[in-house]
Amino acid sequence: MLGEILNTYYLQIGSFILINIMLAISVYVPLSSGQLSLGSAGFMGVGAYTSALLTIHFDLPIVIGIIAGALAASALGVIVGIPSLRLSGVYLAIATLGLGEVIRVIFVNWDSLTRGSVGLTGIPQLGREILEFARGVGFEPAMIGIKNNQFVFLSIFLVLLVLVIVILWFVVRQQNSRVGRALSSINLDEKAAESMGINITYYKVISFTQGAFFAGLAGALFAHVIGYISPADFSYHRAVEVLIFTVFGGSEVIIGSVFGAFFLTLMPEVLRFVSEFRYIIYGILLVVLMAVRPQGILDANLLKKIKFKRSKGGIR
Amino acid sequence: MVIEVKNITKNFGGISALKDVSFSINKGEIFGLIGPNGAGKTTMFNMITNIYEPTSGEIIFQGENITGIKPYKITEKGICRTYQNIRLFSQMSTLHNVMVGGHSQSHSGVFSSVFRTKAQRKEEQLLIERSEELLELVGLLEHKDTIAENLAYGQQRRLEIARALASNPSLLLLDEPAAGMNEKETDSLYDLIKTVQSRGITVLIIEHDMPLVMKLCDRITVLNFGEKLAEGTPEEIQNNEAVIEAYLGKEEDEVDA
Ligand SMILES: Nc1ncnc2c1ncn2[C@@H]1O[C@H](COP(=O)(O)OP(=O)(O)OP(=O)(O)O)[C@@H](O)[C@H]1O
Ligand SMILES: [Mg+2]
Repeated sequence: MLGEILNTYYLQIGSFILINIMLAISVYVPLSSGQLSLGSAGFMGVGAYTSALLTIHFDLPIVIGIIAGALAASALGVIVGIPSLRLSGVYLAIATLGLGEVIRVIFVNWDSLTRGSVGLTGIPQLGREILEFARGVGFEPAMIGIKNNQFVFLSIFLVLLVLVIVILWFVVRQQNSRVGRALSSINLDEKAAESMGINITYYKVISFTQGAFFAGLAGALFAHVIGYISPADFSYHRAVEVLIFTVFGGSEVIIGSVFGAFFLTLMPEVLRFVSEFRYIIYGILLVVLMAVRPQGILDANLLKKIKFKRSKGGIR
Repeated sequence: MVIEVKNITKNFGGISALKDVSFSINKGEIFGLIGPNGAGKTTMFNMITNIYEPTSGEIIFQGENITGIKPYKITEKGICRTYQNIRLFSQMSTLHNVMVGGHSQSHSGVFSSVFRTKAQRKEEQLLIERSEELLELVGLLEHKDTIAENLAYGQQRRLEIARALASNPSLLLLDEPAAGMNEKETDSLYDLIKTVQSRGITVLIIEHDMPLVMKLCDRITVLNFGEKLAEGTPEEIQNNEAVIEAYLGKEEDEVDA
């Protein structure tokens, strides 16, 4: 029964949506303290290559590789985050975009390690590893009536779903706390925040590094979901795409990033039937949105209205 | 003595906003800083909170030289301020503004915030109670969920005071708190500042509303073109020839005109 419902193509799109949500959150978190970082593609690349190389060359379990990838990206986040404190707004955006390109060029030119622009293949795949593990403990996909490859795609999707939920939980809880208020006060008025006793250096580096961590994590997962990576996967096109998720969905609220990544990943797939026109539609949509709703689809006001309506309905 | 300002000079490029200004404030005093526009009053606040570093001179707070230390550390040590041109966190609720003011009085980090440890929940609860108490003090408790930018002007000024008080300062700096207030609001501001004083907080106030300053302050320093012109009790200042010439007299002319 389950075997007939599970469509591997849909599961794969679902997985890409989830990875893109992580990437959108990696832009959202630094932005919540007023830092516009376009380094996501670079940090994603660091996470992907770190995990891929460790698992290929040292036979490390994928889990260890992914953690190492995310940590490597965060370490780079700290190293870059501290000097970039002097920059803000557009200047920070350009500097982090530049960082991403530097990282990409290193991947292209460090041939002996990265195999240059050809990229890495034969990266251990998350789904296969989970399948092997499941078989190790005596479980066969056939036992729940699905094929092996359905199981592989399903397990990847579920792992990513759990991770996205944990990340959302983390970010939302952090936001509704002393740390979140500090970040948001820095976003609203840095000088006043500092006068209120907030160590702005500390909090900016924290949020920048968290962004790098989430991007690195997404990158590492991407590598083990796809199985091959090349520097082109982490070019500035990716950086801009990820930024658009957040800006389109609404950068004031985290649900905006989630919605933006969901909608903009799904749309080109849904519009597949109009083939080449879909990117024209995508472009037009962005232009129209920025003209009529520059704060993005979702913002604090809209959410309040939705909540208000719901609670009013509840009383009646 | 709570604070000693020693020979502070501040040059901005060619202009010197402060020239060798010294004064000191006793514990529990309400101390006025007055003078014509551009005299350097706000610049003095920026020196004390180290928004800008002085060109020369020293600031001693509770026996410790605090010249050149980071602004957030100065707040931790017990000096907090309000701004002449209101600088609230405009998109945050009134309550959250005050809670941000309480940042230095709380400690929860990322970990305890995300896992909502027992200590964190207790601290958060305490912070909310303390903040609500301060909102009650400034008469804004009923507006605690209002977004700050939607408050009336006088309310915003009082919210800034509550936010500053949340850092539990020993020295409160008020930059023209009565600006834009009507008579009634100014009267309640007087009561508020007196209450603050009765809680053992020393107050340094910049204000152009002379009746308020004269009624409120224990001592006053007058600045003119960056220099200290006079210092004394309100009576002494009101009868000081140089002050009348440079400031008080001129102000009356403006009113006549
Ligand atoms: N950041 C700055 N850069 C350059 N000049 C400045 C700066 N801040 C203040 N000044 C100058 O220093 C002088 C004193 O300004 P300040 O703001 O301290 O005056 P004030 O006494 O607070 O006046 P007001 O009553 O109008 O608020 C003015 O000439 C002002 O232009
Ligand atoms: Mg001023």
